[in-house]
Amino acid sequence: MRKKILIFPFIAFFFVLLVFFYLLVIERDPSELPSVLIDKKVPTFETDSLLNKETFISKNEFGSEITLVNFFATWCGPCRDEHVYLKRLSNEKGLKIIGVNYKDNPNKAVEWLEELGNPYSDVIVDSKGLIGIDWGVYGIPETYIVNSKGIIKYRLVGPITKKKYNAFYSKIKESED
Amino acid sequence: MTKTLLTIVIISIMIQLFLNNSYAVEPEEFLQNPKQEMRARDISKNIRCLVCQNQSIDDSAAPLAKDLRALIRIKVQENDTDEEIYKFLTDRYGDFILLKPPFKISTFLLWSLPFVFFIIGIFILFLHNKKSKKTFGKFNVLLIFLFFSI
Repeated sequence: MRKKILIFPFIAFFFVLLVFFYLLVIERDPSELPSVLIDKKVPTFETDSLLNKETFISKNEFGSEITLVNFFATWCGPCRDEHVYLKRLSNEKGLKIIGVNYKDNPNKAVEWLEELGNPYSDVIVDSKGLIGIDWGVYGIPETYIVNSKGIIKYRLVGPITKKKYNAFYSKIKESED
Repeated sequence: MTKTLLTIVIISIMIQLFLNNSYAVEPEEFLQNPKQEMRARDISKNIRCLVCQNQSIDDSAAPLAKDLRALIRIKVQENDTDEEIYKFLTDRYGDFILLKPPFKISTFLLWSLPFVFFIIGIFILFLHNKKSKKTFGKFNVLLIFLFFSI
């Protein structure tokens, strides 16, 4: 009787081991957090545009077509890496992308866009990171998919990479469902 | 006897470690009003730094933690209540930003299981003692005492 009971801790231990091994093997990033803004309306805000002199009013910009919102900065290395994919989405797929220049030097940002090309329909300035906080940004680059009704449908934390590009593009297509 | 002494020493060191918390708030961030500053500090200690994830924004030197500390201080100066400030943050970052998860249906197991395990533990202890025909051992008393002291 006593020996039979002793086997239970081993079974429990083996089960825990199995769970840990599964979490180790599957592809996941534990630092990636789900956004609470999914299926919610975009935050409303007004700010300066980097390239035009007009004020950017969020109410006028969302709700007519699928729009990507990309938080980037010149000091952010992975942002440079994903730039080519943003250009592909803008040039080849004709998507509207709004760039949010997060806690950056505006002059450097303009130089950066001249050097690498500008995939953005508009670039807005978030000098203090407050727009970022409103969107729940915790580490740039972050890219949000906003559907044609102005609802946030997806957030990608980290750069769009070659590996992630196709999956990300299908998320854009799914955003209208 | 030496075992008990060793336990006491280890526990006191652990308590020291917990009390002696360093913080990352820079002097220029301080509010003029000490009462408001204390409130901002108390709130900051409950807010998780999402960059470091196991530090509060009060402890963290990450830029986002600094931004959030500044934001909390602005809201404290505007006389927002604690609840309003926590709601502002959880509306944007989710419950994960709170270092202490709230009691909800989804966190019911998280909060209740420790007590369930504790009761099961006591049950096993009594069962074990009954079988080995010993009186309630000193070691067991120490264990239960330790549990409550934590």
